[in-house]
Amino acid sequence: MGNFATLQPGGRPLVRFYLAFMLWFVGRAIQAAALVDPNVRKEFNDLPDDFSFSLGAAFNGPQMAIGKDSNGKVKYLGKNSNIVPQVKITIKSMEALFLLFTFRESTPVANSRERMTVEGNLSHACACVRILDIVQVYLLPKPIAKLAIKRYPKWSLKKHTINRLLINLRAIIGF
Amino acid sequence: MHLPEYYEFCCTVKTVAGHDVLESIPELLSKMNSKKTMIITDKGVELAGLVKIVTDAISENIEIGAIESDVPPDSDVRVVNNLSKIYVKNGCDSIIAVGGGSVLDTAKGVNIIVSENSDDLMKFTGAGALKRKLRPLVAVPTTSGTGSEVTSVAVIADPERNKKMAFSSLYLLPDIAVLDSRMTLTLPDFLTSQTAMDALTHAAEAYTCLSKNPVSDIHAINAIKLITENLLNVIKNPTDKEGRLALATAANIAGMSFSNSMVGMVHTLGHSIGAVCHVPHGTCMSILLPYGLEYNMHKTGEYTGELLYPLAGDKVYSKTPKSKRPEKAIEYIRDLNQKLCDATDGRHPVCLKDVLDRDGNMMVPEDKLPEIAKTALGDGSIFYNPEELDFDDILKVLKFAWSGEKLDRSLWIHKNSFKNQESL
Ligand SMILES: [Fe+2]
Repeated sequence: MGNFATLQPGGRPLVRFYLAFMLWFVGRAIQAAALVDPNVRKEFNDLPDDFSFSLGAAFNGPQMAIGKDSNGKVKYLGKNSNIVPQVKITIKSMEALFLLFTFRESTPVANSRERMTVEGNLSHACACVRILDIVQVYLLPKPIAKLAIKRYPKWSLKKHTINRLLINLRAIIGF
Repeated sequence: MHLPEYYEFCCTVKTVAGHDVLESIPELLSKMNSKKTMIITDKGVELAGLVKIVTDAISENIEIGAIESDVPPDSDVRVVNNLSKIYVKNGCDSIIAVGGGSVLDTAKGVNIIVSENSDDLMKFTGAGALKRKLRPLVAVPTTSGTGSEVTSVAVIADPERNKKMAFSSLYLLPDIAVLDSRMTLTLPDFLTSQTAMDALTHAAEAYTCLSKNPVSDIHAINAIKLITENLLNVIKNPTDKEGRLALATAANIAGMSFSNSMVGMVHTLGHSIGAVCHVPHGTCMSILLPYGLEYNMHKTGEYTGELLYPLAGDKVYSKTPKSKRPEKAIEYIRDLNQKLCDATDGRHPVCLKDVLDRDGNMMVPEDKLPEIAKTALGDGSIFYNPEELDFDDILKVLKFAWSGEKLDRSLWIHKNSFKNQESL
């Protein structure tokens, strides 16, 4: 008796590292897109002043949060922010988030398979999903982005080139 | 048949259906150790004499601790608190909810408070806040549409905080749904037709939207069959008991289907027209259903085509070539709406501009459409719609639904990839 193995949730360090990296990058890209893309800026403008939302995996999985500061500036709040987000998007498990972030399952399909829960004001959550969709188009090559969202947008050349470059650069450098 | 890699389906509600099944409620309650029950209903249901039918059917065999008809059209936290006090004071241990969606939502709210022995509903909002089974709850629907007797959600308004509280938990599913044909026998024709079209929409959206799965599908198909085989007969012969029971059953199983598969843009737009212009839900559903199916057709036409079978029957289905079935199914729904409009002297409107209030005023003026479209962008059901919808898309669809013209799908040819038929 007593000689049994215990398994802790949140193993698979490589998966965790990959997801944490992706969340970090998406978070910084949202901050950048809020400056560069007029649609993302408008979505944030329509959200309340102290708005914040988080995205992450349940059971101690990696997390990230985004919020507006007192000047209305959109900031990536990091992975362990202390604020309580107004909208919390949680993916059921690290595996489900991995499916999502390896683009084997689109956001709408993940949602339809009950892999996501949304807490908070639903109409604000809808805005968050629209922001995430736009940012994915900036970050991903077209064939992959097409798997991630419902409809690939018809964008101007400027958006596809200059804005895309700016957002990726800013996300890497972080300003 | 579409088999997703992953799906969930759950309905724990026992259905008891027939022409004289109210009489079995006392026995069903006693099996759940209930000795004294509380009836929650609204004024309309009471005035229609339906509460008396229920009490006559059950009072010999179970003690009724209270009958409360103080439920407003939108369930309200103050009413929930009042009714909870009465429940406790009178020593009740179960609830029978007799009515439509708001009565049932109110009853669910009361059941949370009395079961959790709390005075703050707010604590239980959101998904999964309830951790254990609640006290016995029996739902007796008095319309055949919403299917709320099998849904695990409740919405209760908090006027002081100017908020709507949403609750979602499998523990909110009633224990028993009692479908008794006597409960809908006196429902006026235009309400019968509009609520039935709500049920038809639940089935059609569940079958064509992103969470479709084989279990939901089979419920949806049967619901549609029951509606199309019975609705016009019931409108012409309102006292047709068999037909009434068929419609109640249809609404019930369509409810099981959509509460597991969710609904899409027809509900997104319908909720928003309801919120902005206060048009009854069933009216919006009957008008919008053809447009929702048309808008999504390049993605889900195959499924819409399959609906032709329960809608029009096997002869029409087998005579129609596969490529023509989606359009034919939509045409059939438009046709059904027109027949219902004629049979109810125009009280089943077929386009938004024809929706009138009691004084004959237009309820959806054309200049309200942008506000409706903006509201729609914040409705959660938009997630489950197969195709993306932005503000312009919604506004365009609304304009067609307003005038009653068929949707001109060529307007989207550059935006939506019409080649892409698979997607789901
Ligand atoms: Fe509905």
